Amino acid sequence: MSACTPKSLASSGQKPIQEMCHPLGAEEAVLTPSPDVRNITSSIGEKDQILPNGTPVETSSPSSSSSLLNRLQLDDDLDGETRDLFVTVDDPKKHVSTMETYITYRVVTKTTRVEFDLPEYTVRRRYQDFDWLRTKLEDSQPTHLIPPLPEKFVMKGVVDRFSEEFVETRRKALDKFLKRVADHPVLSFNEHLNSFLSAKDLNKRQGLALLSKMGESVKYVTGGYKLRGRPVEFSAMGDYLDMFTQKLGTIDRIAQRIIKEQSEYLAELKEYGPVYTTWAASEAELQGPLEGVASCMANCSIALDELTQDMSGDFLPVLREYVLYIESMKAVLKKRDNVQAEYEAKLEAAALRKEERPTVPTDVEKCQDRVECFNADLKSDWDQWQNNKTQDFRQLLTGMADHNIQYYEKVTAGDYWLMLSYVHLIQVVVQGAKGSVSY
Amino acid sequence: MVEEGSTLLRRMEISVAEAEKRTGKNTVNMQEIFTVYLIETRPIDAITEGHNPAPDSLWRRYSEFEILRNYLLVTYPFIVVPPLPEKRAEFVWHKLSADNMDPDFVERRRVGLENFLLRVASHSVLSNDKILYHFLTEEHRWKEVVCETGFQAKADSRIKALSATFRVKNPDKRFTEMKHYSDELQSLTSQLLRVRARVADRLYGVYKVHGNYGRVFSEWSALEKEMGDGLQSAGHHMDAYAASVDDMLEEEEHYADQLKEYLFYAEALRAVCRKHELTQYELETASSDLISKKQQREELATGMVRTFSFKGMTNKLFGQETPEQREAKLSLLEEQIVQGEETVTEKTVECEEYVKGAWVDMQRFKEQKDRDLREALIGYAVMQISMCKKGIQVWTNAKECFHKM
Repeated sequence: MSACTPKSLASSGQKPIQEMCHPLGAEEAVLTPSPDVRNITSSIGEKDQILPNGTPVETSSPSSSSSLLNRLQLDDDLDGETRDLFVTVDDPKKHVSTMETYITYRVVTKTTRVEFDLPEYTVRRRYQDFDWLRTKLEDSQPTHLIPPLPEKFVMKGVVDRFSEEFVETRRKALDKFLKRVADHPVLSFNEHLNSFLSAKDLNKRQGLALLSKMGESVKYVTGGYKLRGRPVEFSAMGDYLDMFTQKLGTIDRIAQRIIKEQSEYLAELKEYGPVYTTWAASEAELQGPLEGVASCMANCSIALDELTQDMSGDFLPVLREYVLYIESMKAVLKKRDNVQAEYEAKLEAAALRKEERPTVPTDVEKCQDRVECFNADLKSDWDQWQNNKTQDFRQLLTGMADHNIQYYEKVTAGDYWLMLSYVHLIQVVVQGAKGSVSY
Repeated sequence: MVEEGSTLLRRMEISVAEAEKRTGKNTVNMQEIFTVYLIETRPIDAITEGHNPAPDSLWRRYSEFEILRNYLLVTYPFIVVPPLPEKRAEFVWHKLSADNMDPDFVERRRVGLENFLLRVASHSVLSNDKILYHFLTEEHRWKEVVCETGFQAKADSRIKALSATFRVKNPDKRFTEMKHYSDELQSLTSQLLRVRARVADRLYGVYKVHGNYGRVFSEWSALEKEMGDGLQSAGHHMDAYAASVDDMLEEEEHYADQLKEYLFYAEALRAVCRKHELTQYELETASSDLISKKQQREELATGMVRTFSFKGMTNKLFGQETPEQREAKLSLLEEQIVQGEETVTEKTVECEEYVKGAWVDMQRFKEQKDRDLREALIGYAVMQISMCKKGIQVWTNAKECFHKM
């Protein structure tokens, strides 16, 4: 299969560097980047990303050297030093109007790209606008994996939509989304992204006119064709996503169960502490220790409540985002299957008529191009997705561990205070202050 | 104050070393399984002299301990008698067995029985009792000997005690207050134990569900290339976390047992107060009996009816009795009055001595209670801290594994 020729920057599937042979491999010795190269499109992660551990991507042959050179010049520098588009989402603010109340976020863009008129932009956007952007990206770049957004709907009464914690969690997710889009070699050049970042008012109705040619052609492929031979790697992707989604579902259920058990534990704790306080009222010498235990329990209750809130607010939403994300990825895989099926059908039809026309008809060639571009786009995005996923889950699970550690630390602090007060009491008793009260 | 006399415990080392199952026939001649406990004793001076004699030992079952305690209750009513460990497992949470044959229950009971013996043997009054000594040192004929003391007959009936509570006019205020305190202590410790059991149950649930993370991380790690190792190790830590709760809650049962002891002690305390009310009531009854007899004598002697009496009425209606009858009545009354005065004197002494002895022991009990419970509460706080430390350890380990993903 020949590599697809880039028609325009926005629509071609450029292979990022990591798709080539390993930098230290023999064949590419002349043109390989420096051995300490990091993964491109290094987005939000504070951590350094590492190359996939010796897992060679079993894909098609590397592209020819000349186009590789082109891409090295056109791509963002792998170290991010000459990255030319920086975006940030911050400063959430509440807006109250007669019709509704909502939050807007400030989106700041700094860029040297010629596609933008100005080097800097500051706009305010609300969740709806991000949602619009993502939909537009999905429609216009159907061969790519679009990063996920935080959950759209929030169950009222369970989480407070305007609480600081919720807004901050959402802001972080929106920031991550935008950074990933901005670091994507193809998506970052999308015109809708440009509007989103720069326009004073988003005219959300401008849609169809900006569909790329590729987008259009893919969009109208019907699912009427049967797929014959799906390449192994895409089957593997599909299988992986199915199994992974299942595991995520299990983890979600476990997390919810834990939250439920903790809430019930909390309810009992809230009854437990006060009994010590009541008892303290009947005692003299024991009053101190009893009230101490009561206050420990109270302290524990507060810490436990915070833990439950943190897990509900931080942990569960991210899991659910990923489930939705995976659904959208499976949709993209399905589309790819359809494109390939169409190509196969047309090829077969042409083969039957081979005697009439010796050369391959152009529409079959176009189909072939489409398939190859789609495959290439998907493969490059897949690897990036794997990296992002590792990072996201490392962060998520580390966060879970941190929340639990903090809970135990808070409880310990309360207990230590109690111990110290006991020591004081014992000293008083030893000094002979006993027998001063009736009971 | 408490005499620092030579209590039994100073002369003798006592322990309840083991428990065993036996089979035998019960009172209705049916086969039953029961547990016996090995009581071991060694004279202390033999040990301090450097010899290491084998302990004397005998086996006793729970019901024999009960008989011993009932004997002590009747024989020393002014003493707050240490309680036995519970007969049946109460305040259980779901993981804990309510079965009396359960090995954990038997073990905790063994500890409780030893504690009972140590407390009794270190009490300045109780430790001198011969029946106690016999119980500890000679297996044979103990039951017969204790029954021969006739203590069962001496036991006050519940009804008598209860009616005294309602009818007594001038109980010692301190005893009334102490009785109220014992009621509160009983109700509070009982409530505390109930809620604690529920809390333990819930805590158990929280920990165990984390075990599911262990399994799903393991399954997930099979899907992954890079993340696999980190996930797998983290999963092991989650399993360890889930398993750690068993030991923690077993330790907490020890705290619960300490509370239970004082739940039962509250009852013993109340019994002492009730006995005071009974003796006081008996004194009041004897006194008022004496007064009314004296009054009757006066009426008979002077012929004047001071207060309304049925006799006075019938005299008016049917005529007075003969002088001989009156003489007979008078002398009978005189006898009764003499007896009554003796009784009142006896009862007064009895009451005073009782109040003195009981007050001393109640003070001793109060100090013991404050000491023991303070220690228990501190121990509880230490347990909580230890539990938190383990939690921090496990989650820190898990966090490291996540870092390495």
